[in-house]
Amino acid sequence: MNLVSLQNSLDNATFAILLPTLLCYWTGVAFPNLKGLPAIGTAGMAIANLCMAALLGARWLEAGYFPISNLYESLFFLAWGLTAIHLLAEKLSGSRLVGAATSPLALGIVAFAAFTLPKEMRQAEPLVPALKSNWLMMHVSVMMVSYAALLVGSLLSVAFLVVTRGQAIELRGSSVGTGSFRQVKLNRASDLTIATAESGGSGGTAVLEQPVLQLAPEQLSLADTLDNVSYRVIGLGFPLLTIGIIAGAVWANEAWGSYWSWDPKETWALITWLVFAAYLHARITRGWQGRRPAILATVGFGVVWVCYLGVNLLGKGLHSYGWFF
Amino acid sequence: MTSDPLASPSFADRWRRGQQLFWTWLADLRLAILLLLAIAIASATGTVIEQGQSLAFYQENYPTDPALFGFLSWRWILSLGLDHVYRAGWFLGLLILFGASLTACTFRRQWPALRAAQRWQFYQEPRQFTKLALSASLPQGKLDSLEPLLLQRRYRLFRADDVLYARRGLAGRVGPILVHAGMLVVLGGAIWGSLGGFYAQEMIPSGETFQVRNIVDAGPWSGSRIPQDWAVKVNRFWIDYAPDGRIDQFYSDLSVVDREGQEQDRQTIHVNQPLRYGGLTFYQADWAIAAAQVRLNNSPVLQLPMAQLPAAGRIWGTFVPTKPDLSSGVSLIAKDLQGTAVIYGSNGEPLGTLRKGMAIEVEGIRLSLVDLVGSTGLQIKSDPGIPWVYAGFLFVMVGVVCSYVSHAQVWALEQDGQLYIGGRSNRALVAFEQEMLAVLAQLDAQSNHSAETAIA
Repeated sequence: MNLVSLQNSLDNATFAILLPTLLCYWTGVAFPNLKGLPAIGTAGMAIANLCMAALLGARWLEAGYFPISNLYESLFFLAWGLTAIHLLAEKLSGSRLVGAATSPLALGIVAFAAFTLPKEMRQAEPLVPALKSNWLMMHVSVMMVSYAALLVGSLLSVAFLVVTRGQAIELRGSSVGTGSFRQVKLNRASDLTIATAESGGSGGTAVLEQPVLQLAPEQLSLADTLDNVSYRVIGLGFPLLTIGIIAGAVWANEAWGSYWSWDPKETWALITWLVFAAYLHARITRGWQGRRPAILATVGFGVVWVCYLGVNLLGKGLHSYGWFF
Repeated sequence: MTSDPLASPSFADRWRRGQQLFWTWLADLRLAILLLLAIAIASATGTVIEQGQSLAFYQENYPTDPALFGFLSWRWILSLGLDHVYRAGWFLGLLILFGASLTACTFRRQWPALRAAQRWQFYQEPRQFTKLALSASLPQGKLDSLEPLLLQRRYRLFRADDVLYARRGLAGRVGPILVHAGMLVVLGGAIWGSLGGFYAQEMIPSGETFQVRNIVDAGPWSGSRIPQDWAVKVNRFWIDYAPDGRIDQFYSDLSVVDREGQEQDRQTIHVNQPLRYGGLTFYQADWAIAAAQVRLNNSPVLQLPMAQLPAAGRIWGTFVPTKPDLSSGVSLIAKDLQGTAVIYGSNGEPLGTLRKGMAIEVEGIRLSLVDLVGSTGLQIKSDPGIPWVYAGFLFVMVGVVCSYVSHAQVWALEQDGQLYIGGRSNRALVAFEQEMLAVLAQLDAQSNHSAETAIA
């Protein structure tokens, strides 16, 4: 079988699947009573995910190295990661809003990679000497998955901002655990029922006994759920980003003798790390809860893009491989 | 000696109080967030404004009139140190303040939080459950049927008669402490490395022996680490090319030799595969063309040094005399080590291409190219901070993974024919809610089942 033509048909197929998937999710949000649509959307995301996995696998077989060495491959790897994290976030939250936020992003990335990139940049090319290392797989793949998780997580924060616009809200999930307490103090008159029990030998006289407390769980609202899933997905991306940066630092030290050289890409990865660290800390700060962390995460969305693409547009530094220059 | 309680507070009291305030300020999360964002913004300026350029460069690109955004002129850039952000005093000051804030936060917030998490207690009263969002009362619920459900979900149980406490994921409380400690170790290792380490560069032609002398940057305590009693011989430097002319890999075959010229170690290095010896690491970093070996008619092999041509990129050239008095000659130009050179006449006319082992007739002389000799560009580094930095990296990685774990706690009490259950979690609220609701549903089903069997 011709691997190159297989790749070409797979990248178009991914686009062809993601477009109706996006429409399903959006229609599903606009018409909440159409029950089947989110399930179709989930299936579309899963199929697109498998198509991209097959595309990258074919590329791996053809080129003989892990396929994230140029922009085309890395965009598909990112879109693959996005769809994978999307499926995870959707399963966690059970909300159809997740797809409404993530499917346009995945579609946009695939469309850019498959149609906008010039043909020369879509072909597999041999690795430059600096990239010939097992660290490539470790460092780049972890970084890409972390970008995917951070993008999905910050998109969910955007969704949270949209859902809660015009309301005062107290965030719940945080590492100090203030979120597990009841938001409304129990109203004793309505929530405490005084149980009366007949006592056996008192001949029909009802004896008022000690009141027995009745409790029912208070469940999370949609905004709380979105917020917590956003927090968990960013919480997943953050360790991956940390490990990816450290893997890059160790690789740089093994290859060039310097674990940190303030190269623009390195610096922006650090900036991304700092912004999301600020987000994680803002969540546990009294008086800073509510919308502020979500706004920080939204800023983080832009910072991830600057780190992933913006730095390479400058064409400077250690990381200018296989890009526009 | 007793102090009058009505007198103004003594100096010692005010000092203690001031200290207290200082530590509270330093451990404040809002300060930490501010520092994180300040370091992020400062780092970003360093990627936007060109670093380490000449005064003339900044004067040309950042004129005072019109200044960029109305204020960003070269005077501002130089006085704020924005031409070398990452070495500027105020940036290092920010990093030190950040380290101090990390330390204060660890001792004043994280450590107490971990201790508090370890000092759990049973809930003995139903009203204690009312503050928890995920709390419920089940008529006829039994602690005995709750226990296996929690064990199944990997909780650790503590039970006394009719009360129960269960927890899972205490690692989530340890993780952030490990991350903070690891970052402090990394910062410490970086400082130690910059004080006690050095960094050198050498460009050595194939076949020569050198000692590390061209020190580019050295810390104040690095003197003893520069090797005096051994040298390195470059046995050979070569480049492997792919069939399409692209560079596949650079190789240097290096020997470590002692004063008597005895070989102590021998390794072939390439990019991503350095040589380590005596606390130093030799990295393959650069290359150049050192010399061309040529023969004129039947002369012995002449080695002519090649020089990089100014302002022409990576192109090297040499002058090959064609008359014994050097009054006339040709130029030999090469741009890689693939064994091809181009010959230009004295008037600049191209005379032809010369391949290794071939000859060309120029100005009445048969010029043959025997070989092109490469130089290897080595980066040499000694960094005593590396073990610390790596240890810190390990702490940070383990800690950051642990930090994802959500600490979940469940309390239960059997009283008045009711089973009270309540739980809380610090991170995964959605997943914990699903888990608790599932446990409640299972308990409900079990008690209904047992009630039915009791009736039957």
